[in-house]
Amino acid sequence: MSDIDPNARINLSKALVLLIDGSQHSVDVLAQIMKGFGVPEVYRCTNIDEAEKITRARTFDLIIIDPQVSDGAGYEFLNGLRQSEGAPNAYTPVVLISGHARATDVRRARDTGANFFVAKPITPSVLLQRILWVARDKRPFVEVGKYIGPDRRFKFEGPPPGSDGRRENDLSAPLGSADEPNMSQTEIDSLIKPQRVMI
Amino acid sequence: MSVVRRFHPEVRLKTLLAEPGGVTAKTALDRAADNVESVREDCLVAIDVKIEALTEAAKTQDEELLSRVYRLSNEIFAEAGIFGLIELSAAAHSLCTLTSAGASKGKNAAIMVHIEAMRVLRRPDVSNDRLARGAVLAGLRGLTAKLAATA
Repeated sequence: MSDIDPNARINLSKALVLLIDGSQHSVDVLAQIMKGFGVPEVYRCTNIDEAEKITRARTFDLIIIDPQVSDGAGYEFLNGLRQSEGAPNAYTPVVLISGHARATDVRRARDTGANFFVAKPITPSVLLQRILWVARDKRPFVEVGKYIGPDRRFKFEGPPPGSDGRRENDLSAPLGSADEPNMSQTEIDSLIKPQRVMI
Repeated sequence: MSVVRRFHPEVRLKTLLAEPGGVTAKTALDRAADNVESVREDCLVAIDVKIEALTEAAKTQDEELLSRVYRLSNEIFAEAGIFGLIELSAAAHSLCTLTSAGASKGKNAAIMVHIEAMRVLRRPDVSNDRLARGAVLAGLRGLTAKLAATA
């Protein structure tokens, strides 16, 4: 179980989960795993038409999808889901599961807006780890250009060397020296000390 | 400069997971493993059907051949792997790599060899013999290395 504390309690008894995979047997195995985790309601789709219908009607707590479903239509489906601001599942956590991946698939997968990628063959242990990780993920969603989804940077180490960055709030790597004297501890304390405010 | 909007949507999954009750992670994993085992036989039958479908697909030699073979072998890769059929899963993965690569001399013959190897790996006398399974996979690896060298 590597990263999972075996005694940690998990409660998925109220979770609604959608599974999308082009293979009926793969989706059935996933459903068995999710039921083992205590999920009472699991919806299974083996094509994108079914998935589109059900995601318009229900709000899911988790979507697990193989983007190869319906001849690769899963990528477009996920993009559409993230672009559908105000729709029930625009920000639902998505775990993307992928079998053999071609280089073009990897590039497409990166830009779908999925929260995490899991390589097949799936094991219950890896899937549970990823579900827990996705639920506790602190990355913000970002909307930039045509992309909407979790920040694709897992850690921010500043803009590439020699550049000022691409974002308006990027700071160049060398910050330079301070142009004002350092604040005293008293000044810092006064900033964080609770103040009584007259209303 | 790109304009970036950052926000934190509410994640109901996090709240649900932390609610009182539920089960321990160990219990959840044990139950999941038991549930997977309960569909093992059905899935193994389905894998055999897919290997037969691969054999039929490979006979057609039409434009859709490679995409059909790729899709079926990708499914076998994933499903055999779940049930611990490591060599079969690896052979299916090798077939995925072969069909997704560009055209090369002897590619169709190599596809047929892969499919035949997968059929052999499902034969009871081979599937129950670790050394035999390893030998089949080693043969396939030799073939793909030879193909890569001539490409």
